[in-house]
Amino acid sequence: MSTWLANAIVRGTDVSDWLSEKRQAALGKLKQQSWPNRKTEAWKYTPVSVIDRGAFSPAVNDVDANAAIDAIDNLDASALVFLNGRYCEALSCKTLPEGVSITSFHNASAAQKEWALAQFASVKPDRHLFGLINDVLAEDGLLIDVEPGVQVTTLLRVVNLFSEGIEAHSRILVRVGKGAKLAIAEEFTNSTPSLNTSFAEYVIEDNAELEHYRFALQTGSALSVGGGHFKLHDHSKLHSTLVGFGSQLSRVDVDIEHAGQHAYAEKNVVYLLDGKEIFDLHSTIEHAKPNGTTEENVRGIVADQAKVVFNGRIHIHRDAQKTLAELNNRNLLLSRKAEVNTKPELEIYADDVRCAHGATVAELDTKALYYLQSRGVSRQDAQIMLNFGFINELVDRMPNEALATWLRSKLKVRFAQMKVSSPQDALVNS
Amino acid sequence: MSNALLSVTDLHASVEEKTILKGLNLTVNEGEVHAIMGPNGAGKSTLGYVLSGREGYEVNSGSAKLGEADLLDLDPEERAREGLFLAFQYPVEIPGVSNLEFLKAAVDAQREARGEEPLSSKDFLKQAREACKQVNLPADFLKRGVNEGFSGGEKKRNEIMQMLLLQPKLCILDESDSGLDIDALQVVAEGVNSQRDGKRSFVVVTHYQRLLDFIKPDFVHVLADGQIVKSGDASLALELEAQGYAWLQEQRARDAELLGEEHV
Ligand SMILES: Nc1ncnc2c1ncn2[C@@H]1O[C@H](COP(=O)(O)OP(=O)(O)OP(=O)(O)O)[C@@H](O)[C@H]1O
Ligand SMILES: [Mg+2]
Repeated sequence: MSTWLANAIVRGTDVSDWLSEKRQAALGKLKQQSWPNRKTEAWKYTPVSVIDRGAFSPAVNDVDANAAIDAIDNLDASALVFLNGRYCEALSCKTLPEGVSITSFHNASAAQKEWALAQFASVKPDRHLFGLINDVLAEDGLLIDVEPGVQVTTLLRVVNLFSEGIEAHSRILVRVGKGAKLAIAEEFTNSTPSLNTSFAEYVIEDNAELEHYRFALQTGSALSVGGGHFKLHDHSKLHSTLVGFGSQLSRVDVDIEHAGQHAYAEKNVVYLLDGKEIFDLHSTIEHAKPNGTTEENVRGIVADQAKVVFNGRIHIHRDAQKTLAELNNRNLLLSRKAEVNTKPELEIYADDVRCAHGATVAELDTKALYYLQSRGVSRQDAQIMLNFGFINELVDRMPNEALATWLRSKLKVRFAQMKVSSPQDALVNS
Repeated sequence: MSNALLSVTDLHASVEEKTILKGLNLTVNEGEVHAIMGPNGAGKSTLGYVLSGREGYEVNSGSAKLGEADLLDLDPEERAREGLFLAFQYPVEIPGVSNLEFLKAAVDAQREARGEEPLSSKDFLKQAREACKQVNLPADFLKRGVNEGFSGGEKKRNEIMQMLLLQPKLCILDESDSGLDIDALQVVAEGVNSQRDGKRSFVVVTHYQRLLDFIKPDFVHVLADGQIVKSGDASLALELEAQGYAWLQEQRARDAELLGEEHV
């Protein structure tokens, strides 16, 4: 048993607000779960013992004067800032786009509470241990509601800042109304010792569109467990990009549910890992209704002794005829000690579907290498270009160009640091 | 004084144990345009690959010099920096690597080899835009992945664009005319002609006389079965266009027979 979990349960019992009923339900489920160990399938390769080894104190609402929000050139965005898991109005953008209501848990109106109560823990499945913990402990969060038909062109940047030694839990609930459109980025960039859980539940109503980013760029001893859970209604669209660096504990659970027909989901995932970092992604695509499409591309570069865990599940229900689902996972290993644990899980109960699923260790493309060299680029530089190009292909797919440019330079910096520890010719290690 | 830029002497080369080049000789002097024609599978592209140093193309004997440099001793990037450029018959698509980034790296690497400072991004962009314009490619092709999703003709024009930027000494154009529409053919030809300055040399591999109407060759060679079997002036291309290669092969067979008889 974990003393941290026991402690969390005690703390959870004390939380009392308009979400109490939901929290109590989660608490009941949480008490039935056991702390993960190596035999726990969902946590087989990712030890959570680091949580018990750290000493974290719950959030205090001190406005850290040093808290800096990354400036992004040419980006039309409104920043919404969480400081140690609490929404911080002082650091957040004062002018918000039209047609979207944004409120913190504490300021929610009766009407907002009503839809929030209906959505809270309804998109996120109960099986996620830390999701339940977040249900119980997330004292603050954001309710974002886009009115039907409204096309929000300004990107909402949900920026998460943490002080050293802090433990923080935050929540986001987003509803994109019928025919509406929203773009949102969840950003995590800290490397200071801390622990956070951050779960987001998105409902995309009929004909609505969501452009979503999660930049899980915490490193070092910033421990982070989070989730992004999406419910897609008829003819809705999701374009989601997840970018991960590893840390001592960096875990993301993704659930995409096709709850309506003719929905389209594109999920692209990029990770860059170095040192002894861990990045763990569990994704589940549920096709419950016919005519849905999912394309999931998961790619990463793993250096040194870093470890990636990817569990990609596609579940096509009996009624989900004419589903088109594709998932691929490609990894480039930069050292012999780098570790990739990838596990595809396909469950198909409908007969008229097209489904592809593959995981590979990427090979260096010798033709491309020669082509670059034949123009005068050194072999080493050409390899670096190709390796970066391998993940950049997915960055190129981001609909927001300003954001892609910012991300590209961040990835380049990290990639340049990685290559130092990696022998160029030990690229492929299958 | 000879002003040979490229001298290939008795070159034998193989791919996957299969001998493709069987004693090839070719000398290209400064400022000259040589056309190479010949049947499919004769080894024309192989010659380009061997000269540019593609992996898997094994040189069994012979030599190839570009100016003073022994090409066969150099890595592919060093050959490029010596001034060799091969416009590929089938340019490679490299998604994720932008055309612009790739070209900047190539130009900078070649400048560095000549002891020059790297170009500023601004100057480079200006040059790259001009080169695009010259081959009728929209400038936003620079932002796209290298050849990614380019049509056949766009890929060929992208090759010529690179040649314009890199300013090589010797350009080998491997079927740069195939798959081009009539206007694009002129664009490519004009691109090449604009680079003729009396010093720069071209080896133009083609199946069609048509390109040679636009780019006037000084010499035409027939490459068959791994050797240059016949050389002539521009009129040879016309003759080949009219008659194909069969007569040449018959002639060679007769020669071989004669040679055989002499041995007896
Ligand atoms: N990797 C390889 N493995 C085996 N054979 C090869 C390989 N590459 C080339 N060849 C063979 O070498 C021969 C010469 O090929 P090459 O591409 O040089 O011909 P080409 O003269 O350029 O023909 P084309 O006019 O059709 O372009 C062909 O028979 C070809 O099949
Ligand atoms: Mg060829």
